[in-house]
Amino acid sequence: MRKTVPVVTAFVTGVIVTISFFFNEHTTLIGKVQGGILQWVTIIFGLALALGMVSITRVNFNKIKRKQEGWFYSVLVIVSVFVMAIPSALPVSWSPMFGRNEGSLYYWLWTRISEPMMATMFAMLAFYIASAAYRAFRARSTESTLLLLTAVIVMLSRIPMGEWFLRLFNESLPDWVNIYIMNGFNLSVQRGIIVGAALGAASMSLRIILGIERTYMGKG
Amino acid sequence: MTPFSPIELWLMAFVTLAIFSFLYKDNPVYRLVESIFAGLSAGYYFGLVWDTVLMQQVVDPIKTDSSNLYLIIPALLGILLFSRLTQKWSYLSRVPLAFVIGSTSGIFITSRLQGLVLPQIRTTFMPQNVPGGSTDPWMIVVLSTIVVVGVIATLVYFYFSHEHKGVIGWTARLGIWFIMISFGAHFGYTVMGRVSLLIGRVQFLVEDWIGSFTG
Amino acid sequence: MNVWERLAAIDRRWIYLACGIAVLMPFIIPVSLPVYTTPEVQGVYDAVKNLPDSSVVMLTYDYYPSTLAETEPMSRAALHHLFSKDCKIVTISNIPLGGPTIAERVTRELAAQYGKEYGTDYVNLGYKANYVAVMKGLGSSIRSIFPADNSGTPLGQLPLMQEVDSYEDIDFIFIVADNATADYWVSIVNAQYGVPMCCGATAVMAPKMYAFMGSGQLKGLLGGMKGAAEYEQLIGHKDRAVRGMDAQSLIHLLIIGLVVLGNLGYFMGRREKGIGR
Repeated sequence: MRKTVPVVTAFVTGVIVTISFFFNEHTTLIGKVQGGILQWVTIIFGLALALGMVSITRVNFNKIKRKQEGWFYSVLVIVSVFVMAIPSALPVSWSPMFGRNEGSLYYWLWTRISEPMMATMFAMLAFYIASAAYRAFRARSTESTLLLLTAVIVMLSRIPMGEWFLRLFNESLPDWVNIYIMNGFNLSVQRGIIVGAALGAASMSLRIILGIERTYMGKG
Repeated sequence: MTPFSPIELWLMAFVTLAIFSFLYKDNPVYRLVESIFAGLSAGYYFGLVWDTVLMQQVVDPIKTDSSNLYLIIPALLGILLFSRLTQKWSYLSRVPLAFVIGSTSGIFITSRLQGLVLPQIRTTFMPQNVPGGSTDPWMIVVLSTIVVVGVIATLVYFYFSHEHKGVIGWTARLGIWFIMISFGAHFGYTVMGRVSLLIGRVQFLVEDWIGSFTG
Repeated sequence: MNVWERLAAIDRRWIYLACGIAVLMPFIIPVSLPVYTTPEVQGVYDAVKNLPDSSVVMLTYDYYPSTLAETEPMSRAALHHLFSKDCKIVTISNIPLGGPTIAERVTRELAAQYGKEYGTDYVNLGYKANYVAVMKGLGSSIRSIFPADNSGTPLGQLPLMQEVDSYEDIDFIFIVADNATADYWVSIVNAQYGVPMCCGATAVMAPKMYAFMGSGQLKGLLGGMKGAAEYEQLIGHKDRAVRGMDAQSLIHLLIIGLVVLGNLGYFMGRREKGIGR
């Protein structure tokens, strides 16, 4: 029962959605059923997003309770969760500070604190990639030399200064990089990977619908 | 022009510099803002789920029209997902999970084949359009040849059901060269992307924050 | 320790400092080199330019705040271009962490500049979970997936959404994304519903998108900040992306220099140790 019900559920929903591809979504029954299933998926999956919040709160709460090292930071995490979450759930009619609209605390905290923080965290990758380019990017073999040379040419062709430099050799050189490297070599490899991955994804989906692939259920 | 007040700009500059301070070494200020960020992100998810899922997709439709009462079912299925947090009841989460994964698989089968495999294969064996609109037949022939050879060689390289020997071995060898050129281009673009993110933050610090001192 | 070994053992923080200076310098002393337009960006410009005025366009904000530097200029340029053609814009985000808020902030700011009214000229649908189901579900009915907009106003109360309820009512999709959603817009929406689209992608994603350009599934492509800069220039609104190009030039040259120096050290070190003779 613990396995049969999920397998049947995946089969029924999967088959309906697959078959409805061949029917009009607005006029046929199967099309309408598919629309309903997809609506349900967005609700179920949407609620799953709250799992993360529950989990992070639980982990940090336990850390505080056990007075583990760095528990003070866990207090900050929990305070931040509630400062963001509680006002967002209160009705806007009580105060413009509540809810998620412009002018709310939720909007303010996100745009003034979270956005710059998240943008900066990823900006640091520029330093790491520069350091990695210096330390690890070596022409050790034919393959790595090809990779390195292409990277340098593409990096040059994608900056105004580099474009200007490449045009000194031949006026069409940056165009050729775009045509032959990006739309030739790169496109063909990306296409090969896309086709391979798509075939893999389609066959995996078929295995899930047919109940052969059940790893999503976990153990037990 | 920035829509932020001077105090807000100082706050944004503080969190930006606090995160950058990690480049020198790990420090309490970095950990402080990192914790705030983690908390705010989790809180953000809560607000989003509460408002856009629970209120907009379940509560409000039921309040306005009682025929929408059936929406309680997907909401309950969603709540069942929380059983994953317990060991004893975690099997209950399998049904909503199967519902989502089954229907998503249904979309995948058709979209991967009709939306990716067919158009990509079809256009591989057609004369390629030269970017920029050139009609030079030599350019078209060369570009089309590169594309056909590259796609076949890449697929052969990733075909592991047959030993890479003989013709397959040579084609796979050619495939790895194509792949290296493509990955080189990918690396060049990745550098460009990461650098752009840094430029964005420096732009904020110089143009918006420091720029606000001079008006 | 010889000079090559010393170079190899250099503290990473000196490299960080060099990067910081390379990015900072052009903002103090700008050079403003010309930005050439690539055919992919011209494709985006032409696709939007050729849309009939007042067309209904879906603009996606499928990106996290982490890539704002690359993607926000694309969204802004797209809004300038679309609003100047009086297009009706429906924005949507498939990213839970920040996407709907960015859509709200950026669209409202630009709409105010063009005197556009919310509900009539543009609508922000916001976010719904599981983008694969959302993209497919919008083909059946937008209202079944999004009963209300991002602020909770029922779609039935918004004049624009009374005319728009599925892809049949949408003339064009302008994707701005930093993740796999672009792939699904192409493989689900373009392939099954035939809605023409173009894509603004981060530089990391852009190489993959060339395959969709080649197959004609995308009308145009903005690749990273450079793509955004080219588009800003084409529409005559030079902004952050164009201003960032000098810094991009200098730091690329620095990284190329680092690669060359690193390899020089590697080969000289091997030669001195007698490896490879």
